[in-house]
Amino acid sequence: MEIIALVKLALDTGQLRMTETKIDLDATPLKISDIDRNAVEEAIRVRDKVGGKVHVISALKYGPIQKRQQEAESLLREVLAMGADDAYLIIDEALINGDQLITAKAIAAAIKKLGNYDLIIAGEATIDGYTSQVGPRVAAELGIPALTFVRELRIEGNKVVAKRDLEDAVQTVEAPLPALVTVTREINVPRIPPLLQIRAAMKKPIYRLSLADLGLSLKPAVEIRSITPIQVKRKGVIIKEGTVEEKVDKLIQALIQEGLITPR
Amino acid sequence: MGMKALVIGSIGDAGLIGLAQKVERPEIHYLLIGPGDATQLGRYGVSKVYQLTTLIDEASLAETLADLVSKEAYSIIITPVSKYFKTAIPMAAQKLSSSLFVDVVDIKQSGDTLEVVYNGIGNRAQLSVRVSGKVFLMAPPARFKPSESPVSTTIETLQPKVVSAVKVVSTEEKPKGKVRIEDAELIVSVGRGFKKQEDLKLAFELAEVLGAEIGCSRPIAADLKWLSEDHWIGLSGHKVRPKLYIAIGISGQPQHLAGMMESRTVVVINNDPNAPFFKNCDYGVVEDLYKFVPALTKKLREILKK
Ligand SMILES: Cc1cc2nc3c(=O)[nH]c(=O)nc-3n(C[C@H](O)[C@H](O)[C@H](O)COP(=O)(O)OP(=O)(O)OC[C@H]3O[C@@H](n4cnc5c(N)ncnc54)[C@H](O)[C@@H]3O)c2cc1C
Ligand SMILES: Nc1ncnc2c1ncn2[C@@H]1O[C@H](COP(=O)(O)O)[C@@H](O)[C@H]1O
Repeated sequence: MEIIALVKLALDTGQLRMTETKIDLDATPLKISDIDRNAVEEAIRVRDKVGGKVHVISALKYGPIQKRQQEAESLLREVLAMGADDAYLIIDEALINGDQLITAKAIAAAIKKLGNYDLIIAGEATIDGYTSQVGPRVAAELGIPALTFVRELRIEGNKVVAKRDLEDAVQTVEAPLPALVTVTREINVPRIPPLLQIRAAMKKPIYRLSLADLGLSLKPAVEIRSITPIQVKRKGVIIKEGTVEEKVDKLIQALIQEGLITPR
Repeated sequence: MGMKALVIGSIGDAGLIGLAQKVERPEIHYLLIGPGDATQLGRYGVSKVYQLTTLIDEASLAETLADLVSKEAYSIIITPVSKYFKTAIPMAAQKLSSSLFVDVVDIKQSGDTLEVVYNGIGNRAQLSVRVSGKVFLMAPPARFKPSESPVSTTIETLQPKVVSAVKVVSTEEKPKGKVRIEDAELIVSVGRGFKKQEDLKLAFELAEVLGAEIGCSRPIAADLKWLSEDHWIGLSGHKVRPKLYIAIGISGQPQHLAGMMESRTVVVINNDPNAPFFKNCDYGVVEDLYKFVPALTKKLREILKK
């Protein structure tokens, strides 16, 4: 089976470089969007059960390209070390800070370029975009079914059977392959590759694709006007010294001063 | 006439009309999913209601919508935020080559272009973007208050275009809680620092003395299922803004912070002095929760005479 995992190199929202009025996207480090590790893990598990290959596709969304290339490739090595067979990195100026419409077009074109595919696995949402849209968009672009928010999945012959984790219910669904699945964080625990595999991953191929290679010419329809941090000033009083009782007293004093509790 | 907008949702989602009203002289239609009195939407200036009486799956909604949006030439399409819409709307948007913004706060029209303000980057920033062409927007309906400008409404039943891409085999209801954590004034929130489900009792007792609701991190609700999902706070859970938020045994990852950032006073109890939450709190207690929480509850009981 040819399995494709979609991996975003996302802004590390725990390490945003920001001042009071601005977020500097160019200076913020990237990381593999957490749930995309679950996507890769699930792809590997399916492959190990039914045979085949796992290809990773990633479209770079953050610039400057010159500076990010190296960073992007070493991040992709992490998912190769987990066990993916190869990776395709779509790098093009036109995708930088672009919206999900053109990201999905580029990813779908790369999937078609690969030729055969049976199962595409994406994350339920990214840590930075958090929109859950790229998966279903890619499915629509390819004209294949999308099974979203999946926390359990298995392949039965030529179909995929999945449990969808919805707000008020767990829904069991099935669809013929090829299909696209988006997985939740709870579907598995992503493996942490041992050193030996990290070394072996250095030899696995990472192919670079531009939009021209994909026969696409895309223009972003969205222009970012401003990015303002949502920040709250906190007092940051740390109560560390003393016995448990002394700490209790200090906290209670603080809560009284804040007007949050009133002794009777 | 100004821009043509379509609001989609149940009758309870009518708050979203308030977002559509922000453009100049809009022509507003409503795609009403499920039961409800469609005529009452005319109060808010909705001139046409399409009614979808049967519930259809996401792929079918995407197809139906793509046709409707093309036929009516809507330039703005607005829906609530839910997994149903997060599945259907991106597919419709891709078919129509349009952008989609989630967690929209405001829109402003200038000529043919629309300025959209939304929360993004893991809920750490407010972004303002300019878009031309059709655009899909998602937002919580309660964020907006539509103003009244009564018109007469025509109502039409919409025939869905049903496709069968994904087959539903079975559905199993989840246990339902009845907490509305979004409205809580005081919250005691629990995380993986609790070793066993029974131990949550410590937090329940503290909450009882304070008259607080119980919140939790994602693993407590989603992985361990120790609490129902109505307690779940964060990027993928509920957004809360209490006067007091007490986080016990929660590390303070950005996805948790995203749900409680608007709390007024934040207290963190964690035995690891390097827990990231200590950088985002008003009062941080470095202590084992198993020792600290019972002692705090006992003392509060004394001074609050409970
Ligand atoms: C896209 C995405 C969306 C997400 N959405 C959410 C969300 O909505 N809400 C959410 O909460 N998470 C969310 N997460 C998960 C989030 O990243 C964290 O994994 C999660 O918040 C961690 O939960 P925790 O703090 O309870 O557990 P942990 O990170 O395991 O932290 C446990 C803490 O307890 C402390 N502790 C341990 N023992 C004791 C003790 N005896 N006394 C005191 N302290 C103790 C530890 O020091 C540690 O800091 C999301 C993740 C992703 C990728
Ligand atoms: N730039 C990208 N490159 C590859 N995959 C992506 C990209 N952006 C999003 N995805 C995939 O789509 C999922 C949902 O992303 P989002 O719509 O940003 O929430 C992610 O978990 C990834 O699997």
